[in-house]
Amino acid sequence: MSWIQTLNFPFMQHALIAILFAGIAFPMIGVFILSLNLIPLRFAMMHVALLGGAIGLFLKVDPLLLGLLFCILSSMALGPISEKMKLGVGILSGYFMTLTLALAFILIYKADIHVLEAFNILWGNILSLTILDLIIVGLISLMILIMVFLFFKEIQAILYDREIALAVGLPEKTFYYLIIFMLGLTIAVSMRLIGALLIDAFVLLPAMAATLISRSLKQTFFFSSLFGLLSGTVGLYLSFVFDIPTSSTIILVASLIIAGCFLFRRGASRHEKVG
Amino acid sequence: MHHSIELTDIHIHLGTVDVLLGVNIEAKPCEFISVVGANGAGKTTLLKVVNGTLKPFSGRVFVLGHDLSQYKNLNFLRRDIGVVPQKSNSDPFPIRVEEAVLMGRYGKIGLMRRPKRTDWEKAYQALEAVGIQRFSKKLVYELSGGEQQKVALARALAQEPLILLLDEPTTYLDQESRSEIMEIIHTIHHQRELTTLLVSHDDQLVEQYSDKIYLLKEGKGYLIK
Repeated sequence: MSWIQTLNFPFMQHALIAILFAGIAFPMIGVFILSLNLIPLRFAMMHVALLGGAIGLFLKVDPLLLGLLFCILSSMALGPISEKMKLGVGILSGYFMTLTLALAFILIYKADIHVLEAFNILWGNILSLTILDLIIVGLISLMILIMVFLFFKEIQAILYDREIALAVGLPEKTFYYLIIFMLGLTIAVSMRLIGALLIDAFVLLPAMAATLISRSLKQTFFFSSLFGLLSGTVGLYLSFVFDIPTSSTIILVASLIIAGCFLFRRGASRHEKVG
Repeated sequence: MHHSIELTDIHIHLGTVDVLLGVNIEAKPCEFISVVGANGAGKTTLLKVVNGTLKPFSGRVFVLGHDLSQYKNLNFLRRDIGVVPQKSNSDPFPIRVEEAVLMGRYGKIGLMRRPKRTDWEKAYQALEAVGIQRFSKKLVYELSGGEQQKVALARALAQEPLILLLDEPTTYLDQESRSEIMEIIHTIHHQRELTTLLVSHDDQLVEQYSDKIYLLKEGKGYLIK
């Protein structure tokens, strides 16, 4: 069966559509994470989701729903709490991460919850997406694109220097909290839909590659989307051709793009020095 | 006439440390005020009080005739206060000099609105005023410390402020660059009729430029010039 023929299957069509959406929009969230040094937040959300899932299993409520709800509430609360405690969001994420993990394990142990069932919330599968999943990915992608388009200059100021954004009279806190909320929302939803492993492929790696070669924030957003799209589609294709796991293949392609960008930058800086 | 800045009996405690213990400072319109003191004397804290990013434990703060304690949101006021921080973000963030200076206009442009031609013109006037127009297309992190400080100054000027707050603007610079930056600040202060509040640990450097100098010592403010 050829690659083109596989596109007749709904699961492949769904995967491709999800890659088109997530590939373009999610790397923009990666640019936020890298610029604001929020990598711990991504891990914190995974553990918050685990606790939500464990509570869901204990209460016999849909664990996915409760996991998502916990993530959304946490991402809304993290900004204001860090402000009150005068702690960076990164540090507070570490606190959330360890606390929620400990609570989840206590609950799993005491309530005799099947461990694999609880951890199931962390593992999605891009080849098993439903129409509803696609709508969710599409909506979040659209929200990210609209936010970046409408508030580009505010986002630029905050990513560059939050103190300067405040000093020039922008509502810096509001936008910072909005960024954290969107980040939490994206990670929470995509974790279930495309899996914890694939989040990095879509969110962080294309953004890392883009920052290596960009000379403006607009370029960073553009290249991160381009690389997200490229690694997603090429990864999906190669995973079919070589019969290897899709998530891992997408990550491998994204990693190769990073290596390529690094070599390009090195070449460009040598050329500048010689010139 | 209102004072541009009027701080009365300001007390600030950060954690268990008493930083300011009843400081009084006044600046009339178009005055050049310097506040000197050793590291940790509370100079930067004082600037944060004027900019409204730090609320005093007690005391009154009036800026451009506004009692800051009466407002929850001070963004309207911050748009008239240019701030030059001690050190801006030096991470390799991809932003050209012209964009970093244009950022000074962002508060005045308003949410969801794009910069207009007049905003770019004001940014370029500010670049010219501090003499770094030739670097406009370069990335900020590619510049030297002195040049980056000029970018910060140009950004504050592009804002068209009534008050200019400068936090140790010469700290990381060599002697020659220090004098150059101080000359630029002084010229701009007069040309644009700004009220300037500069904090520095170097009282000799600011002496010739300042109308008044306050010394911050052990939480108290003393008028020494």
